Amino acid sequence: MSRSYDRALTVFSPDGHLFQVEYALEAVRKGTCAVGVRGKDVVVLGVEKKSILQLQDPRTVRKVVMLDDHICLAFAGLTADGRVLIDKARVECQSHRLTVEDPVTVEYITRHIAGIQQRYTQSGGVRPFGISTLLVGFDPHDSKPRLYQTEPSGIYSAWKANAIGRSSKTVREFLEKNHKDDLSREEAIKLTVKSLLEVVQTGAKNIEISVMESYGKITHLDLAQIEGIVSDIEREKEAEAERKRSRLAATAAGQAAMATRAGDAASGTS
Amino acid sequence: METSFAITGKGYVIVAADTTAARSIVKMKTDEDKIKALGPHLLMAYSGEPGDTVQFAEYVERNIRLYQIRHHYSLRPSAAASWVRRSLAESLRSRHPYSVNLLLGGYDEASDEPKLYWIDYLGTMTEVPFGAHGYGSYFALSLLDRCVKKYLVISGALICHSRYHNPDATLEEGIETLKRCIDEVAKRLIVSPSKYKVKIVDKDGVREIEL
Amino acid sequence: MARRYDSRTTIFSPEGRLYQIEYAMEAISHAGTVLGVLAKDGVVLAAEKKVTGKLLDLAGAKEGGYGGSGEKIFLLNSNVIGGVAGLTADANSLINYARTAAQKHLLTYNDDIPVEVLAQRLCDMKQGYTQFGGLRPFGVSLLYAGYDPHYQFQLYHSDPSGNYSGWKATCIGANNGTAQSLLKQEYKDDIEIKDAISLVLRVMSKTMDSTTLGSEKLEFAVLTLDPETKAPKAKIYRPAEIDALLQSEGLKKDEDAEMKPAQ
Repeated sequence: MSRSYDRALTVFSPDGHLFQVEYALEAVRKGTCAVGVRGKDVVVLGVEKKSILQLQDPRTVRKVVMLDDHICLAFAGLTADGRVLIDKARVECQSHRLTVEDPVTVEYITRHIAGIQQRYTQSGGVRPFGISTLLVGFDPHDSKPRLYQTEPSGIYSAWKANAIGRSSKTVREFLEKNHKDDLSREEAIKLTVKSLLEVVQTGAKNIEISVMESYGKITHLDLAQIEGIVSDIEREKEAEAERKRSRLAATAAGQAAMATRAGDAASGTS
Repeated sequence: METSFAITGKGYVIVAADTTAARSIVKMKTDEDKIKALGPHLLMAYSGEPGDTVQFAEYVERNIRLYQIRHHYSLRPSAAASWVRRSLAESLRSRHPYSVNLLLGGYDEASDEPKLYWIDYLGTMTEVPFGAHGYGSYFALSLLDRCVKKYLVISGALICHSRYHNPDATLEEGIETLKRCIDEVAKRLIVSPSKYKVKIVDKDGVREIEL
Repeated sequence: MARRYDSRTTIFSPEGRLYQIEYAMEAISHAGTVLGVLAKDGVVLAAEKKVTGKLLDLAGAKEGGYGGSGEKIFLLNSNVIGGVAGLTADANSLINYARTAAQKHLLTYNDDIPVEVLAQRLCDMKQGYTQFGGLRPFGVSLLYAGYDPHYQFQLYHSDPSGNYSGWKATCIGANNGTAQSLLKQEYKDDIEIKDAISLVLRVMSKTMDSTTLGSEKLEFAVLTLDPETKAPKAKIYRPAEIDALLQSEGLKKDEDAEMKPAQ
């Protein structure tokens, strides 16, 4: 009976699966999409924002949160789980400062979060956290931007660019195709928006972008700025399409011309 | 000997503390900062058992910062002071109590008022218009009690409801008052501190000034 | 086999869903409606009472009860009132927890608990009940109507998953869809408390299933600032006051002959 392996909380199935962890990943895939892109000396976090209902207070809908002065986090999956995990991470950030007088490094807090997530896949009587996270930031006394990801299983990894949540596979493939090393600030922002547009059909109003440029320097782009970038991208896309069309037309015309000439030649011989 | 003062005025609190780190009768150094900025609008001067002071101040600093990150706004000065007092009171009843005296000055953005709290190592807390800790307090308090009279002469103010310290003094007047306190301590106290650090908190935040 | 992931404790289904939470929400959608509207100078809560009966002793409710009229609306702290929809027994334990949390905050900070902090505290507990073994989620949604100096008047909603969000006007329990769309049509920004009260009562009278509308079916509360002290003042209406209010709004519907049995 397979049922006893995925029913009791997290235990191995005979073929070596941890079903609860895999199912938790499904919960992540249902969450809104989040994208992180690392540039030369900047790191950008973009999230898909659910439309705010007419009577809702936008202040209380938070997708990108600060863990400390120099680290931001975005998550995909169950919001309540996210809030609880974020709170644990925030406590650790301050606790770390208190014990060793230094702010945490991005890797340290990522490892800490992943460690908590791992514990919840192994401890008795708990289900895993239904969230993946993207962490961006700068280490103290360092100018290299960082981007990390954690998963419900407790895996954590460093990335040049990555996506979590809804349609993250499509977005990741897009990023794989389009990411280059040493992107400038503008390029990194643009790539983030572009990749989000792969899944967000409604455009700028459902996109939120946070940019971290150096230790503790975070800016959240406002709607007008994002709209600007989106329309830039659309214009480029149109131009690209136009070029393609004209190229196609040119080849078609060329072929037609060749065909007529061939026809002419043929008729000429007769 | 350790001395710290704080004075409220119109829309600000000035907090000053000596900069001496001493062990027994020896001055180890004279550039120690004993005033911590706990938030964008909150200052805390600490004195007492060396070691305890820094340990406790850092503990407070991190907890207040955690509150701010968690809730997207800072604790109001009154709430922060209550929390600090409670921490000290709980520590007093533990096996190893902290021996720390505090002056907590802040600007309350919700009510647009400067706030000052005097807290000692026994967990006593009281809101005051001015306060002092250490040997310097024996000289400064009496001066602050009377300094309004001086203001009547200096600023020509006709009406003052308080017989004591002037809560409506401008920043310049407040700094003058502080200087008078420091001079008095320098004149009368046998082992008076040589240098002070002075910080101000008002609606624009926290800043340090040179006297 | 369809019942593999939906019984016992809260675990993920293969699609990544937590059925226990979804079922808890289902339970709430049958519970008595609770409606909240945020105004410029106050917040209004109203709730439909489902437990009625001719022999029910309402003496406690007549007196106003302890910090509330008893079933749906409660005083959580001097600056927050809460309305509950769902399992009454679960709600009672959450109300107790909320009151304790508010008092702990008062003890630590000598200051009333900010409304969002209180909502968060309850949500953290609710979230815990969806993650730790052997527990079922709380079958309760709450509306929190409150005031604090940080964000002035506020209205929050929390559900069994431990999610919460802020609202200008919202509704939980039975017929919440109808009420929500009515609110959407009629709510205006910067509405005043007087208009909010009549909006709440009007929407309530339209969404409630019963043919009668009176204090035996309705609970009502308003949170405003005391004009003298500027401190938040919660007023949970007594039955006679509710009837008077309905009368003045022209919405009182008396029972024709016999009280209809509770649905």
